[in-house]
Amino acid sequence: MSIENLSTVYFEAMSAPPKYPLRFLRWFCREDSLDEIEGDLTEVFLKQSATAPRKAKWNFGWSVIKYFRPEFIKQFKQQPNTYGMYKSYFKISLRQLIKNKTFSVINISVLTLGFSCFLLLSLYLHDELSFDMFHRDANTIYRITQQERQDNGTLRNISSVAPTIGKEVREQFPEVEDMVRLSAFGRVTLGNDPTNRTHERALSADANFFTFFDFPLVEGDAKTALKEPFTIVVSETIKEKYFGAGAALGKQIWSGLRRAGQPVYLTVSGVMKNFPKNSHLQMDILFSEATWHSLYNDYTQYVTTEWVDTEYTTYLKIKPQSNTALLSTRIEALVKNNYPADREFRSSFTLQPLRKIHTNSSQLESAAEQFNVNSIKPFYLYTFAALGFVLLLTACLNYMNLSTAMAIKRTREIGTRKTLGAPKNQMVVQFITDSVLFSLLSLLLSVGLAYLVLPWINVFTNKEISISSLPFEWLVMVVAVILSVGILAALYPAFIATRVSIVDALKREIKIGGSSLSVRKALLVMQFAISVMMIASTLIIYQQLNYLREKDLGFSHENLVVIDVNSRNLRRNFETVKSEFGKPAEVLRVAASTRVPGEWKSFPVATTKSNQNTMGSEMIFVGIDRDFLETYKIKLLAGRTIEDPVADSLKIVVTQLAVEQLGLTDPIGQVVEIPRVRYGERMEELDTPFRVEIIGVVENFYFESLHRKQLPVIFGALNTAIQVIDYYTLQINTSNWNNTLETLKAINHKIDPDTPLEYTFLDARFEEMYLADARRGQIFLVLSIIVVIIASLGLFALVSYSVESRLKEIGVRKVMGASVSSIVALISKEFLVLVIIAGAIGLPIAGYYMQSWLQEFAYHIPFGVLVFAEALLITLVIAFITIGVRTARAAVLNPVNSLRSE
Amino acid sequence: MTQHSLGEFEELVLLMVAAQHDEAYGVTILEGLEEKIKKKVNISAVHVALKRMEDKGFVKSRFGGITEDRGGRRKKFYVITALGKKCWIHSMI
Repeated sequence: MSIENLSTVYFEAMSAPPKYPLRFLRWFCREDSLDEIEGDLTEVFLKQSATAPRKAKWNFGWSVIKYFRPEFIKQFKQQPNTYGMYKSYFKISLRQLIKNKTFSVINISVLTLGFSCFLLLSLYLHDELSFDMFHRDANTIYRITQQERQDNGTLRNISSVAPTIGKEVREQFPEVEDMVRLSAFGRVTLGNDPTNRTHERALSADANFFTFFDFPLVEGDAKTALKEPFTIVVSETIKEKYFGAGAALGKQIWSGLRRAGQPVYLTVSGVMKNFPKNSHLQMDILFSEATWHSLYNDYTQYVTTEWVDTEYTTYLKIKPQSNTALLSTRIEALVKNNYPADREFRSSFTLQPLRKIHTNSSQLESAAEQFNVNSIKPFYLYTFAALGFVLLLTACLNYMNLSTAMAIKRTREIGTRKTLGAPKNQMVVQFITDSVLFSLLSLLLSVGLAYLVLPWINVFTNKEISISSLPFEWLVMVVAVILSVGILAALYPAFIATRVSIVDALKREIKIGGSSLSVRKALLVMQFAISVMMIASTLIIYQQLNYLREKDLGFSHENLVVIDVNSRNLRRNFETVKSEFGKPAEVLRVAASTRVPGEWKSFPVATTKSNQNTMGSEMIFVGIDRDFLETYKIKLLAGRTIEDPVADSLKIVVTQLAVEQLGLTDPIGQVVEIPRVRYGERMEELDTPFRVEIIGVVENFYFESLHRKQLPVIFGALNTAIQVIDYYTLQINTSNWNNTLETLKAINHKIDPDTPLEYTFLDARFEEMYLADARRGQIFLVLSIIVVIIASLGLFALVSYSVESRLKEIGVRKVMGASVSSIVALISKEFLVLVIIAGAIGLPIAGYYMQSWLQEFAYHIPFGVLVFAEALLITLVIAFITIGVRTARAAVLNPVNSLRSE
Repeated sequence: MTQHSLGEFEELVLLMVAAQHDEAYGVTILEGLEEKIKKKVNISAVHVALKRMEDKGFVKSRFGGITEDRGGRRKKFYVITALGKKCWIHSMI
């Protein structure tokens, strides 16, 4: 092509009328006017574009719009009537739906089940992922976490740091825009009415808490609420409890705090809306930091000089685009420089983004449970997401399977259509219309179903999920996934239908056979593989939960009531208190101790050294009195227990595990050394190492949740250097718990009129440890039942199709003398083989998955083959019942009926 | 006479058709009009007027041959009919 030509082409391209207006004109304009209009427009355009090309284009477009008027618009309705065709597709889909009632009911209910599970799981996942995102600055807020290397080389990961760190970081580093610290101090007794006081968990926060986070206040000013000493901000629930319905701002409340011997009255400076459930922070009472500065003389010095204690959960607001990795190394350098000279610095710091706190905190120790509420491991999120898709998949596989079977039944319709000249894509459209109809109906039903079950789910999972809480994009995405999967499911049956030859179709001679059957069998195998997988997983989960519940913990936690010591009166003269509590006939035994099993305060952990173990091992230290071992039914293997708190103050009783770790062969009489003790977050060197003699050995027991590896335990005397008495444990034998509790309350009131009795049932406490696991187990159970139902319905439909098309064969067999059972066996056999194949696929996957789940527990059931055999057996039985019911009905039919139908 | 009424713009277009006898089509009419009345006219207005007058029988049309320069579209030439002339004269009275 010459240069001249090129330039002409270029010129023509430049001067061609604009494409889209032209296309639009050609689309709507009447054929008989098009020549004139387009010709004239082009001519005008060409003339104009020689002088003003841009204007010409605009003019062209504008003129085209002006032609869009009745005189020039073609009569679309008299085109071949596609609208009518769609109407016909729809009508036929609807008629099919009504004609095959069983098929339609099965199909719609299965799709509805699948869709609603998917919808609900999406809602659940969205809720988990939206944790803490309601704060305006959610993306720039970080929490400082500390990693501290331990004596034995392991890392302790803590979500709180020393009080000075936050303050200094805020002042020294310009990228830190704001900082807030929270600390927990256990519980405070509250109540103006002396007979109705309770202990409430409380936190304290820096004054800027309510401007840092976006927790709304119902009463009070966010800027000043936490400024003054002796002020508290309470949640609506707490306000209701102590002040009733009216406003509480400025009101005073008695507290168990003391100042110069007098009770402190606190002023309510704000009422906060109850925290949303999707917040990792959950709290009801918040003290102003200023309170402690006024109450304790050395507090100000403590918070400005302490660099070691890890008691303050510290949040930073960082300028966008700051380098957080760099900031954390700078924090590390800062702390290192200020660390007390006599202590070895072995920590590093990380900034944990706010949005990751909910899903990434399971490895973190925190100063109090209010700081990481309902933290979930990503493992479970992936599991639930996978389950949602698996359910959607099974529902769609089922739909594909059934519609393919139906497509073959509809051969006469297909044949007629083809004879009348229907092109291939018309058949496809017919099937897609079917599928869209089913999908839409099921989608509507599933939204309704989700609405109905959501309240239960909210109670069950302790969440506040509603369909409207799903943001628009998520909703669109969920609906799009559901619908597109529904439509995709129609493609396979459509493909089968289009391949049918007209003659065969009209003769109704298409046999199920060939590729269509093998594909449907493959679909069924997939469904059952998923079912087997779910059944096996559910079995393992329940076995593990049972194991946790039934495991011999080495002590008894039944019929034990634990009384929390909250006041000096109860702590002093423990012998008298013990005998007071022991007076009622129902109380069999009373023991005093510093800690109890299933502890909710943290156990003090003593580093213990022996001659054989000079490095030292961490062991839980619990102070007990002489009744403790008997109350808890802990077996003494050798030696004796602590008898007198004074005489035995330098004696200890240890577990077998402790003996093992200390490397002792003959433990009784050996002396061990305790150089330091860790109280939750705080490590304390003892001024003079605590040297104690072992006087007894007890059997191993499990004091904590079996999620964690158990530490060995040392029992010492009460009121040692390590810990003071904190609990009484009452062994009780009663038929009327209410009366007994009233008696106990009365006794408590006599000893200490100021503080109410706080008690816990120990077995309930142990149940609670596995509550989250039990809940997940239940969710899994429900979902696997749904999967099995879906698969069984699919099997049922497939079997009934197979039976129907073989009615004559069955008739002939019966005439020849076959028994009902042999016919049932004949048909069942081929399907049961499929289930076994499904097992071979599904079980290894379940095995792999469950193995990683069991790793969550330090103590778990052995991983056996038996449970998989059980799962397969259950699936086979379910499949056999499904098949049997349908085939037996066909097999008992009188062969006369089936053979006469010709 | 509603059927045979003649609007003002229609009248102008009819005159142009009469003036450019047998050579009148959309673009020439448009240019002629713009020249005479010294105003911008949109081509669609001309086409609407022509169409209405053709329906009323004031003008009749024939198609020209295919030429390259209008995107391969034929021209539609108009001539005034006897009825058209009568109606125009009538409207003048």
